[in-house]
Amino acid sequence: MAESKGRPGSAGQRPTGGDKAVATQKKQYFRRKKVCRFCVEKIDDINYKDVKMLHAFVAERGKIIPRRISGVCAPHQRRLTDAIKKARNIALLPFAAQF
Amino acid sequence: MTRIYEELFIVKPDAAEEEVDALIEQLKTQLTNLGATVDKVDKWGKRRLAYRVDKYREGTYVLFQFTASPESVKEFERRLRVADVVLKFLTVRIDETLKRLDKRKKERDKRAAKRAAAAPAGPAPAQPSLAQQMTESPAVMPGVPKEA
Repeated sequence: MAESKGRPGSAGQRPTGGDKAVATQKKQYFRRKKVCRFCVEKIDDINYKDVKMLHAFVAERGKIIPRRISGVCAPHQRRLTDAIKKARNIALLPFAAQF
Repeated sequence: MTRIYEELFIVKPDAAEEEVDALIEQLKTQLTNLGATVDKVDKWGKRRLAYRVDKYREGTYVLFQFTASPESVKEFERRLRVADVVLKFLTVRIDETLKRLDKRKKERDKRAAKRAAAAPAGPAPAQPSLAQQMTESPAVMPGVPKEA
C-alpha cells in the first residue's frame, strides 16, 4: 500500500471501492470476489424450463457465459450448460441471436 | 422397469385450442395403453419461440410427466414424430434428478434442524428466517413442476 501523499494531482482522489482501482502503482487491485450464485442462493435444481434464470447466464448473442466471468462453481456450471443446451433444443433459448 | 420422464413438445400455433386439447387427450390414452401412467399434464399456452421452427415464430407448449418403461417412450416419441401438428419435442428422464434433489433437500432440512436445535438461545432472531430460506423452494416460473 504505497501512499500517494507527495503527488499533487492524484493525491486525495484515490478510488476506494469498485472492481478495479489504482492501476498506476504496482499491482494494487480491488477485485470483487465472485461467488457462485447457485451456492449462495442454495438453488439445487437448475431446470431447463426456468428460462428467466437461464437467461442470466447467456450472453446477448446466445452464448453461454464462461465460469471465469460469471463466477459459477464447476459442478453448477456443468448442470447449467446442460440445462441451457436442453432449453435450446426445445426453442426456449436461442442457439444464436438473429440480427 | 419404469422410469419417470418428462416430455415437452410444441404444437403449431395455428392449431385451434380444441385441436390441442384433443391431441393431449389422444396422447394420454395412448400412453396409458402403452402401460404408462400419466402423472401430470401442463399446457403452458402460446409462447414465442427463440428461433424459427418450420417458419413458425411461436407455438403452444405442452408438458407431460409420466412413468413408463423405456420401450414405451420410444413408441411415444414415434407417435409425436408422426403427428403433424407437433413441431418439436424433448424427452427428459427425470427420476434420477428428482432423487438427487430429494436427497439434497433432506440433507438441508436435517442440517437446518440440527442448527436450530444446537443454538436455540444464541442468535434467535436469525434462526427462523434462515430455516425458512432453506425450506423455501427456488423461484419457479409457472408450468415448472415442483419436486414430486
